[in-house]
Amino acid sequence: MTWRSFQAGALRMILPGLASLPFGIGFGVAAAQKGLSAFETTLMSFTVMAGTSQMVALDIWAQPLPLVALAVSVFVANLRYFVMGAALQPHLPHLPWWLQPPVWYVTVDQNWAVNIAEYRRGHGDLGKFLGGGFVMACIWSGSTLAGHLAAGGILSDPTMARRLGLDFVGIAVFVVVATILFRGKRDIAPWMVAIVAAFAARWLIGGNWYIVIGGIAGGVFGALRDLRSDNVRQS
Amino acid sequence: MSASPENLVAIFVMALAAMAAKGGGFVAMRWFGRNRFVTALLDHAPGAVLVSAAIVPLAQTGGAFIVGAAVAAVMTRKVGGFTPGLFGGVGAVALARWAGLA
Repeated sequence: MTWRSFQAGALRMILPGLASLPFGIGFGVAAAQKGLSAFETTLMSFTVMAGTSQMVALDIWAQPLPLVALAVSVFVANLRYFVMGAALQPHLPHLPWWLQPPVWYVTVDQNWAVNIAEYRRGHGDLGKFLGGGFVMACIWSGSTLAGHLAAGGILSDPTMARRLGLDFVGIAVFVVVATILFRGKRDIAPWMVAIVAAFAARWLIGGNWYIVIGGIAGGVFGALRDLRSDNVRQS
Repeated sequence: MSASPENLVAIFVMALAAMAAKGGGFVAMRWFGRNRFVTALLDHAPGAVLVSAAIVPLAQTGGAFIVGAAVAAVMTRKVGGFTPGLFGGVGAVALARWAGLA
């Protein structure tokens, strides 16, 4: 981990970070309407750094504040990060305890996707991971502040970002990294299982559970198949 | 710069909950990491998470997003790497919308 790798990681996550602009602005506008101050909105975005769960929390934000409901809804809305953190740990087995919370903090969708691909190919770098997460946190917090300050103004209109295709950047990161990770025939069946499970979860449960359920279903299927073929080979 | 103590406590609780979700899997792996099944599962989980995260919004939005995803995948394979795939995909979505796709 070097300052240079931190900078490189930060630089490459600027565009994916900008993808959160329309959502961030939207969140800022919604937070202003709920009565949060600009400082509170920015602080929440910087410390929680998880847009969907913040939006869910705003939904139940009322005086007196339901702290338990807030904690549970934020935890559940972020469960996909549980799977992502578990997948990351084997690549950072000797990470000192004081660096673990910063690593958890920067575990957000696009930053995780880009960095887990590099760790799996054997050239992951903690500096790049932290730099990417830091720049994404700054852009996310800045965009929610902009939305709060311009609540109802021109910034709250997402049409321009849509016209430029910026609403696709988040998904594009997933597609690109999945393409990089694709190992051929051995990935096809687990990925098909993941896709079917994701659609089923979306249809039956709703919300963003499809990411967790699809990920676990594909992972379990692939693991069972690999262990079974290992056992067959050994016997 | 105004902030009410109640709101600050709620934001703190939310931040803790988010960190618990993010760090929970990481910490749990310290105990389960040597298990063969868990290791095999985590070999497949990242790809499965990514296709799950991409496929539902692609199917729901359709049109321009599907064109963008195809271009992003082809550019990543043919030109090579993260940046050409990302810019190619986003550019393709902008062009597809300009051409009239939703």
